[in-house]
Amino acid sequence: MHDTTCRLLVDVARVVRSKNAGPGLLTIDLFFDTNSDYEAAVAAGGLQAGAVAERYGLSANRVRLIPYPLARAIKITMDRPVVAGTPGDSDVYGAQQHALLLDVEITEGAEL
Amino acid sequence: MNDLAPLKLMSASGQLGYGVLESAFKRGIDHEPDMIGADMGSVDPGPAYLGMGRIATDPETTRRDLTLLLEGARNLGVPLIIGTAGTAGAAPHLEAVLDIVRAVAKDRGLHFNLASIRSDIPKDRVMAALQEGQLTPLGAFPPATETDVLESPHIVAQMDERPITRALEEGANVVITGRACDTAIYTTVAMMRGHDRALATHAAKIIECASLCCDPGGRDTIMATLDNDGFTLDCMNPNRHATPTSVAAHALYEQGDPYTVREPAGELDLSHAVYEALDEHRVRVSGARWRDAESTLKLEAAAPVGFRTAFFAGTSDPRVIARIEKIWDEVRAIVSGLAGEDAAEMLRARFYGLNGVVDWPAPPEHLPREVGILVECIGPSRERAKQVITVTKQYFLHHGFPGRLSTAGNLAFPFTPPELEVGPAWRFSLHHVMALEHEGELWELFPVAHETL
Repeated sequence: MHDTTCRLLVDVARVVRSKNAGPGLLTIDLFFDTNSDYEAAVAAGGLQAGAVAERYGLSANRVRLIPYPLARAIKITMDRPVVAGTPGDSDVYGAQQHALLLDVEITEGAEL
Repeated sequence: MNDLAPLKLMSASGQLGYGVLESAFKRGIDHEPDMIGADMGSVDPGPAYLGMGRIATDPETTRRDLTLLLEGARNLGVPLIIGTAGTAGAAPHLEAVLDIVRAVAKDRGLHFNLASIRSDIPKDRVMAALQEGQLTPLGAFPPATETDVLESPHIVAQMDERPITRALEEGANVVITGRACDTAIYTTVAMMRGHDRALATHAAKIIECASLCCDPGGRDTIMATLDNDGFTLDCMNPNRHATPTSVAAHALYEQGDPYTVREPAGELDLSHAVYEALDEHRVRVSGARWRDAESTLKLEAAAPVGFRTAFFAGTSDPRVIARIEKIWDEVRAIVSGLAGEDAAEMLRARFYGLNGVVDWPAPPEHLPREVGILVECIGPSRERAKQVITVTKQYFLHHGFPGRLSTAGNLAFPFTPPELEVGPAWRFSLHHVMALEHEGELWELFPVAHETL
């Protein structure tokens, strides 16, 4: 067993950002400074499609996660519950929808 | 493979009309690019601009940017290509930008062949596709309806490089397009000179956002120099550096998938892309692949949903804050009783500090000491929307509830009159893919017009 530490995504990631990818999709990018942070995030239970979908009130098949090691990043793409700019949308650019992920727990040093 | 002369593609701006940094642009001109391009389009600001035929950028800044680009390109004698004129690329946007270009040419004594390419798709064409089941929704969009088509004042489709190629072959010096695929601005000249589509599209995909791919990211002019095996990125602002990580990361930006980019004529596959530092400022990119696919058209349209009025207010009262959702429900019920039952459906409130931005699953642990309240009303007419918002404002201000402390008023208004007429409200009605009937249809849907200035 290794010593493990548990931190929150907001303290582990360098960048957590959200934006529209076209008016019907929301895409969230997580960037990490080190390979160990990146790998811990890829393995985190809270950053799997089902867990992310639950946070955003969506079914798991509407969320897609794509690890992108070239930039030590994880991409999360999901259907928007309301199309951008349609009455009822609270965020036309989708630039402030990342906050629901900030307290996801990332366990580092875990033996995988 | 033939040895191709290196081709310098210069992206002056990823959002023309918001201000182009002149020093970086001039440094780019000193490098003698083979073409200059700029994108003006974006769906980011929402459906209103497409629906209303209105440009999102300020007219004076747009004119300033266009002057810089027109003079730069004409002095060098290289093509200037502006994609998606006037934010959304429908006929009124294109006309407004052409008017500015004509005025600048006259003012500066510039003479050239100006080509414009419309991208408005006739309603009966879209209606026929709908009836034949040929409209496929993108992302979370529902299937299109006849209402979506009939109520949309402007339906545009994204053109690929072919209409722009025709314009240049016919002698255009400056091409202003309606709605165009962002990459087409740069792939056109590259492919006319025999360059590889995969590499050209990858370079175009990166530079269409100007120097956003750099560290620190920005909006300044960038150069991509394309050759047989790849391309080099060189930002014209010496303080922004293209690094392998910053450029690789750009593949994530506003893209659903960093490895695959869907284009009108196929798919760009970036899973084997390689990013290498040439020095501290420049990056060499190679490895992109291309897969041909059936040529399709991506349609965009916006439809009106009524007239929007609103008011903004705040509260610092802990008892109002603690029961604000209940107060709002009660106020809406009262307004429905006074101003008509349909009023409740016209009204929507956002409580900033509680849930104005994100649909949180649970209330916060501690209530904030202030809450901002935005109430919007979308009514069938301006008069109706004004009536309902005015009644709502007054009854929210004076709504009584058990234990109320501040019995003289629940709300603080930061200005007067507090009711705002926001204007017509819109929704994206089409974000769908339509099949081309035949290749020749491209020339009917994206007609090229020339004029001599």
